[in-house]
Amino acid sequence: MPKIVLKNVTKRFGKFVAVDNLSLEIEDRSFITLLGPSGCGKTTTLRMIAGLETPTEGEITINDRVVFSSEKGIDIAASKRDVGFLFQNYALWPHMTVTKNISFGLENLKWPKDKIADRVEELLKMLRIEEFRDRYPSELSGGQQQRVAIARTLATGPKVLFMDEPLSNLDAKLRMEMRTELKRLHHDTDSTFVYVTHDQLEAMTLSTKICLMKNGLLQQYANPLEVYRNPANTFTADFVGSPNINLVPFTLRGMKLENSDGLRFTIEMTDGSTVPDQEVILGLRPEYIQIAENGSVNGEIYSSLPSGMETIVKVKIGSLQLNSVIFGDGDFNVGDTHAIAFPGFYNLFTKAGERIGRCRIREAAL
Amino acid sequence: MKQKINAVLKYLRKPQNIILLVMLIVLGYLTIVPLITIIADTFTVHSSEVRAIKGSKAGEFTLYHWKKMFASGQTSMKVFYEPFWNTLKIAFLSCMVAIILGGTFAWMITRTNIRAKSFLSTVFVFPYIMPAWTLAMAWLNFFRNSRIGGAPGLFTVLTGIQTADWFAYGLFPIVIVQGLHYAPFAYILIGGILRNMDANLEEAASLLHAARFTIMRKVTIPIVRPALLSTFLLVFSSTMSAFAVPAFLGTPVRYNVLTTQMYRTLNGMNPGYGYIMALVMIVIGVGILMVNQWITGRRKAYTTVTGKSSNIALVNLKKARTPVTVLFIFILLVIAIVPLISFAVESFIMAPGDYSFSNFTTEFWVGEGRADIANSEPGILRNKSIYTGLMNSLKLSVVVSLVAGTVGILAGYAIAKKRGSHLATVVNNITFFPYLMPAMAFGAIYLSMFAVRRGFIPPLYGSFALLALCGSVKYLPFASRSGINAMLQLSGEIEEAAEIQGISWFKRMTRIIIPIQKSSFLSGYLLPFISCMRELSLFILLVSPSTRILTTLLFQYNEKGWNQYANAINLIIIVIVVSFNLIVNKLTGASIDKGIGGNS
Repeated sequence: MPKIVLKNVTKRFGKFVAVDNLSLEIEDRSFITLLGPSGCGKTTTLRMIAGLETPTEGEITINDRVVFSSEKGIDIAASKRDVGFLFQNYALWPHMTVTKNISFGLENLKWPKDKIADRVEELLKMLRIEEFRDRYPSELSGGQQQRVAIARTLATGPKVLFMDEPLSNLDAKLRMEMRTELKRLHHDTDSTFVYVTHDQLEAMTLSTKICLMKNGLLQQYANPLEVYRNPANTFTADFVGSPNINLVPFTLRGMKLENSDGLRFTIEMTDGSTVPDQEVILGLRPEYIQIAENGSVNGEIYSSLPSGMETIVKVKIGSLQLNSVIFGDGDFNVGDTHAIAFPGFYNLFTKAGERIGRCRIREAAL
Repeated sequence: MKQKINAVLKYLRKPQNIILLVMLIVLGYLTIVPLITIIADTFTVHSSEVRAIKGSKAGEFTLYHWKKMFASGQTSMKVFYEPFWNTLKIAFLSCMVAIILGGTFAWMITRTNIRAKSFLSTVFVFPYIMPAWTLAMAWLNFFRNSRIGGAPGLFTVLTGIQTADWFAYGLFPIVIVQGLHYAPFAYILIGGILRNMDANLEEAASLLHAARFTIMRKVTIPIVRPALLSTFLLVFSSTMSAFAVPAFLGTPVRYNVLTTQMYRTLNGMNPGYGYIMALVMIVIGVGILMVNQWITGRRKAYTTVTGKSSNIALVNLKKARTPVTVLFIFILLVIAIVPLISFAVESFIMAPGDYSFSNFTTEFWVGEGRADIANSEPGILRNKSIYTGLMNSLKLSVVVSLVAGTVGILAGYAIAKKRGSHLATVVNNITFFPYLMPAMAFGAIYLSMFAVRRGFIPPLYGSFALLALCGSVKYLPFASRSGINAMLQLSGEIEEAAEIQGISWFKRMTRIIIPIQKSSFLSGYLLPFISCMRELSLFILLVSPSTRILTTLLFQYNEKGWNQYANAINLIIIVIVVSFNLIVNKLTGASIDKGIGGNS
C-alpha cells in the first residue's frame, strides 16, 4: 500500500514554475531520494509534502489521509501531519540544551515527564551523544549537531522522515560515515525516508528509489541501478555516474553508427529490435571503454588520473575525447597509443535525448 | 640597536599601523582629555560661583558641587534626584513604547501578508529621519492649552475641549513623542533580526507539533531576546540623553530631566553641577555598553544565521488584511505627514490659536518685519540671520560629514586589518566612546576645553572650527562603525592580491577598496551629515551669533515664543534632511536606515 501520494502537484512562485504537474507514489518503508541540480524543485517538493509550503494545485495524501487538496480546499498544518524533518543547517534551537532540543516535541505532545526522560535517554544513547546532553548547540561540532538534529527528529517517532540535504554541511569523511548510519537508521526505524540531495553518489548509495527532477519536471523515477543502467534520457544519463557518461552523436544507418571522424560501430539492440535510420546519441559508460590488447580501434592517452583502486583515463579517438575507467592500480603515459575495446552495454538516445534502447557493439573500426 | 630601529621602521611601513598610532594620539587627546577635564571641573570653583561658595577663589579645589548635588536634602532633591528619577522614568517608558511599536511593526512586516510593505516600511522610518523635536512641536501645535499660557492648539480650537495639563505637557507626551521617534530605530533593529533569523528554526518547532503561540513563546522570542535586550539598551541610552523633546514638552510645566537641568546649569551659574550630571550619564552609558557586551557574550548567545529558506509561511491575515493595512497607513500618515502640515499651517497664521482664514498671513515667510510683532523680525525668506543659519548649518554638516566619514573609513580599515591586536581594540573603543557621551555634555566640555589656548591650538571660543571639531568627533562612531562593518565584509585577500602586484596603498584604497564598499562608506558620510543637520543639544552651548545654525535659531525663536518662525524653520530643516536622504538613496543606494542597521 503506497504511503505518500502526490497527484498533479504544481507550485508556482509568481510566474516561475518550481514544480510542474508532479505525480509520485512513495511506498511504505522506502528510502526515496529527490535528486537533481539546484533549482530543480526538489526541496520545494519536499517542503510541500511536509506542509511547509503550500502547493498551487494538486493533491497530497499521507497514509490515506488527504493532507492537501486544492480542489477540496484541504490544507493540514505541518504540525498536524505527523512527519519528521531534518534541515540542511540542522535548525537546532540555540537557546536550548541538547536535552531540551530533543524533548521539545514530546512536551508538545504532552507526554508525562518520566516517559520523556526515558525517551530522551534512549535517543542520546542510540546516537551516541550522551556526554553532550547539557551543552548548547554552539558548543558542538558539525557532526555532533547533526546527530542531535536526527535525535530531535526521531524523538516523536514519525512514520515519515524528510531530509533536506542533511549531509552537505559535513566534511567528506564524516559524510561517508553518516551515510552508513542513515541507511542503518532506515533499517532500524521502519519509517519512510524522503531525502533531498544534489549529490548523485548519495542518491545511488542510499535510496531504494530515485526521483530525478529537472526544471520542476520529473525525469525518471526508478531504483538507482535501473537509473544507472537504463537512463530515461540523456539528462539522467549524464547526471548519474562519475566520471560522467560519454554522450557521442552519431548517424545511424542500417544499424551502423558513424561519426564525422569516420569512427564506425556496428550495433545490435539487446532486445533484438531494429532502429530506423536517424541521427542518434550513443551513451558509453566509462567502465565499458577499456584499454585492451584485443581492441580494434586505436586511442591516444590524453590524461591519466590513477587513484590506486582505479585509474580515470581520457582517451582520444580521432577528435573524440572519451572518459574511461580502468580498474586496478595502473598508470598510463600521456601520448601513448593503446588499443581500445568496447565490451559492455550501451544506451542509444534520439537526437532530442530520449531513450531508444540498450545495445551492444559488435564491431568497431576507424 | 640597529635591529630595533629596523623593527620600528618595518612596523611603520604598514599604513594601518600609522593610522592607528595617529588616531590613538589625536582621538585620545580629543576624547580622554575631555573626560579628565570634566572630572576636574566638578572639583573646581568656577568664576561664576565665587560668590556662592564663601571664601573661595576661581580655580580652587572644592567638594561643593558633589555635596550640593548628592547630600544637601531639599536642594539635592530639586537639582539632582528629581530630574534623575524623571530621566530614568522617561527613558524606560519611551523605550517600552518604542520597542512595542517597532517590534509589532517589524513582526507585521516580516511575518504577515500585510499589503504595501515597502511603502509602510519607508514611511515608518520617517519620524527617525526628522529631527527629534518635530513630533514634540506638532504635539504642541495640536494640544497646547491656554492654561499654561499662550494660544490654545488646533485640537482645542476645533473641538472646544481644553486639554489637561498632564496630556499636553510633561511625562505623558514626552514618552509618547520619544517612543514614536525611536520606534523606527527599534523596527530597523528588530526587523533585521527577524529577517535574518533562520526560518527553519520556527519550521522545526512547527513540525514537532508546536502551536503558533507556543512557537512564538518558546522559540521566536527567546532567540530574539538577546538582540531585543540590546535594542532596549541602545534606545535607552539615546532617550536618556535626549534634550530637545523634554525641553519643548517638559519645561512649560517645570518638568525637569537631567539634560534640561544640565542646560540650565551649564548655561547659567553652576557649571559644576552640569558636569556632575554629565558624568552620571556617561557612567550609565558605559554601564549599558558593558551590560550589552555581557549579554552578547554569554553561552546561550549566538549569531543569527541566515537560513536557506527565507520564504517562511507568512501569517495570513485573511479578511483583516486590507483593513489592517488601511489602519496602518492611516496611523503612519498621522505620525509622519500630519506634523508637517501643522508646521506649514502654524507658520502662516498671524495670531496663534485663530485658524480662521482671515487670520492667515505670509508675513512670517516673506514679510519685511513689523514693529508690533516679534521685534520687527523679517520673514524667514528675507531674514538675514536665517540665511546665515542655513549656510552655517549646511557648511557645518558638510565639513563634519567629510571629516567624520573619511576618518571613519580609515579607522574602519585599520581596525579591521589589525583586528585582535591591543592597539586596534583600544582605538576601536576610543572611536566609539563619544557615542556614550551625552551630546550636550560633550559640547560643554569642548567649550571649556578649547576656550583657552591648548598647545598649538588657538582659543576656539565662538569659532566655526570648534563646532566642526566637536561634531566630527561626536559623529565619528557612526562612520567608524559602518567603516569597520564594510571592511570586515571584505576578505583580506582582495587587498593582498593588489599588494602582491606592487600597487601602492593609496591606489589600493581609492581604486579597489572604496569602490567595492562604496555604498557602506557612503552611509558613513550620510549619517553624520543628517545627524548634524538636525542636531541641537551638541551645539546649543557652542554657538555664537556669527556661528548660529538653523537648529539653535529654531530653539531661540521657540524660547521667545515666536512660534511661526520656529515652525517655518523646522519645515526647512525637514525638507533638507528628507530630500537629501532621498537623493542620496536614489543615486547610490546608501540610506540612513541601512546605516542604522549596520550600527547595531
